[in-house]
Amino acid sequence: MRQLLALIRLDLKLFLCDRRALIMLFIVPIGLASFMGSVFSNSGGKSSVGGGMGILLVDQDESAVSRGVVDAFASDPTFRVTVTNEAAARDMVLNGKRPLALVLPAGFGADALPGLFDTNRKPVITLLHDPSRNMERSMVEGMLVPKVIQAVAQNGLSADLGRDFIRRGLTNLDRATQVGAHEQQLYRSMMERADEFLATRTNRSLFGSAKGSTNGAPAKEFNLPLPFVTKAEALVKNTKGEYNGYAHAFAGMSLQFVLMSLLEMSVGLLRERESGMFRRLRAAPLSRGTLLLGKGLSYAIIGLLSLGGCFAFSMVVFGVRINGSWPGFLLCLVLTSLMSAALGLALAALGRTPAGTRGIGIAVVLLLLMVGGAWVPTFILPRWLQSAALVTPTRWALDSLDAMTWRGLGFEAALGPVGVMLGFIALFATITWLRFRWTAE
Amino acid sequence: MSDLLLDAQQLVKRFGPRTAVDGVSFSLRRGEAVGLLGPNGAGKTTTISMLSGLLLPDGGEVRLGGQPITGDTDPRKRLLGLVPQELALYEELTARDNLEFFGALYDLAGAALATAAESALKFVGLAERRGDKVKTFSGGMKRRLNLAVALLHDPELLLLDEPTVGVDPQSRNAIFDNVEELRRRGKTILYTTHYMEEVERLCDRVIIMDHGRVVADDTLSGLKQRRTHADRVFCELVEVRDGGWLAGLEGIAGISRAELAGTRLTLHVTDLHGGLSRALEHLRRVDVVVASVESQSPSLEDIFLELTGRSLRDG
Repeated sequence: MRQLLALIRLDLKLFLCDRRALIMLFIVPIGLASFMGSVFSNSGGKSSVGGGMGILLVDQDESAVSRGVVDAFASDPTFRVTVTNEAAARDMVLNGKRPLALVLPAGFGADALPGLFDTNRKPVITLLHDPSRNMERSMVEGMLVPKVIQAVAQNGLSADLGRDFIRRGLTNLDRATQVGAHEQQLYRSMMERADEFLATRTNRSLFGSAKGSTNGAPAKEFNLPLPFVTKAEALVKNTKGEYNGYAHAFAGMSLQFVLMSLLEMSVGLLRERESGMFRRLRAAPLSRGTLLLGKGLSYAIIGLLSLGGCFAFSMVVFGVRINGSWPGFLLCLVLTSLMSAALGLALAALGRTPAGTRGIGIAVVLLLLMVGGAWVPTFILPRWLQSAALVTPTRWALDSLDAMTWRGLGFEAALGPVGVMLGFIALFATITWLRFRWTAE
Repeated sequence: MSDLLLDAQQLVKRFGPRTAVDGVSFSLRRGEAVGLLGPNGAGKTTTISMLSGLLLPDGGEVRLGGQPITGDTDPRKRLLGLVPQELALYEELTARDNLEFFGALYDLAGAALATAAESALKFVGLAERRGDKVKTFSGGMKRRLNLAVALLHDPELLLLDEPTVGVDPQSRNAIFDNVEELRRRGKTILYTTHYMEEVERLCDRVIIMDHGRVVADDTLSGLKQRRTHADRVFCELVEVRDGGWLAGLEGIAGISRAELAGTRLTLHVTDLHGGLSRALEHLRRVDVVVASVESQSPSLEDIFLELTGRSLRDG
């Protein structure tokens, strides 16, 4: 036990003496997680993307309807709208300065309403997009439909437009030889009564008061109703706190740097072996198991300090909260640290030399981080990769931390990931035990 | 208690197809200082590794205190203090931190550890630098601290593997003084080196290794006595005429060879008294005047050369 404690104390002292290691384990992950959190998170329920997604709108129609579409996008905090001409828009998208541009063509306002009923008269909205930004394209396409319908409803359904529509309908009726005389008369009668009604609404919005209120603002009495309304409900088990996207960013980034740093420490272990330090260690009555256990535990403690420090920072500065179980959260931190330490030692055992371990280790750690969801949410990965993520320890570590922080799940939710991580620890420890050489020559 | 502290019998170690140590046998008695001498690659470090339990021999056996070393945690390892050839120190830690760590590996703790660390630091003359990081030490100071680490647990047997490699003369002398003091304290020492003068100064017995084998194991005087190598006698001549007389010297009983370089005549003498008298008489007869005579006994270097056919520095 005294030897074990001495080994642990040694590594902690060496770690505290190493300014570079301290920066790597505390400053860098905090900085990166803060940045990632601010870019990708939805802190406090306010969309941070809203300040960011710049799109271009080209209004070649300049009608009330097209202006309505532009206004609808401009007033949406998700977008940062720049109105420009088509040539400039093409240039900016082509050069990657904006992900996409919407071109509302001349005649858009006049054709939008008839386009609802006439398949031959639909205006074409051109969407110029950067092929590498399909996520943004899909998002804008999805948002386009309600915004156009809203603009058409507000600005297109006027009495004048309705009367014009009736006049054209009656003209077409005169030419419709296939319709019987009786039906023609009934239809004409109905349309003439509608025209009479619309005549009383000239210069007014269809169902509201005079177009343009006394303060000059457009009337908003009527919206063409959509067949549904959406109600967003953020699902977190414990509603004590709000969702805080920094929680995932800090889990991902701190795990990344813990893994990278512990890999570096394992490389250092092999350097100790090559430098002759192991000759002195082995001359003492010290077992290989005690050495490996001491190294593993000291690495785990260092990892735990880093993870704990990063989360403490995120709690103080970004308001991250443990909405789930505190014991569960602490257990997940401990298991994540142990799993990272065991992985580092296993990589040292497999790599055999410092250079070999660094080469293999960087590839493995980066793969585990990417697939495990430390950099990007796993849902945007291909389905097969999402399945593959289930056999990565990082995925389970991150899931467990997410569960205990922003998802607000209870202690029992930590048990599954903890069990899987214990399995990975056993696997890595076995590899280390079987493959780690400590012979001096 | 037996006088025999360490006994190695027929040690063999192979690395792949290469046999690094091939049937090495020797023993160390308590309080003895023995030099293990040999060029680089002779198998000295591999032998030390097997003696200290770092390597399992492929053949043969090591007994320490009459018992074989069994396993990494064998308590008999406490009898050993290894000073490895490499500087096995943590440079980012202080001298005291290093000593406290290595002391803990031998189960030292608390006041006993602090006392042992302080005593070891004083012994190697580094007490004033106890709180300084090792990376600020000179090469010689690191070597001395390397020695101090091995002394912490007060071992009976010290295995010093080339402890003066790369140190300045002052530190080297300090290490010599330390080893001599350890001898006075009754420690058993196995001192590995390829510096002949270190062995001559520090050891009573010499084991010479070459190509993984022991080629000689004797006291210094014993080695010199059993030599086949001749003494050399250097004669400074006043005047050198034609060299016809030189061949006559080699026919004299007790003279194995004669060489002339300028006015310096070197005689290889197998019988110093009779041979040299006869040679001087021969020179007088042929009117060669001798200004001075100087004799030289064979050195350990000569003995090594004679035993192995190569110089120690050949590597």
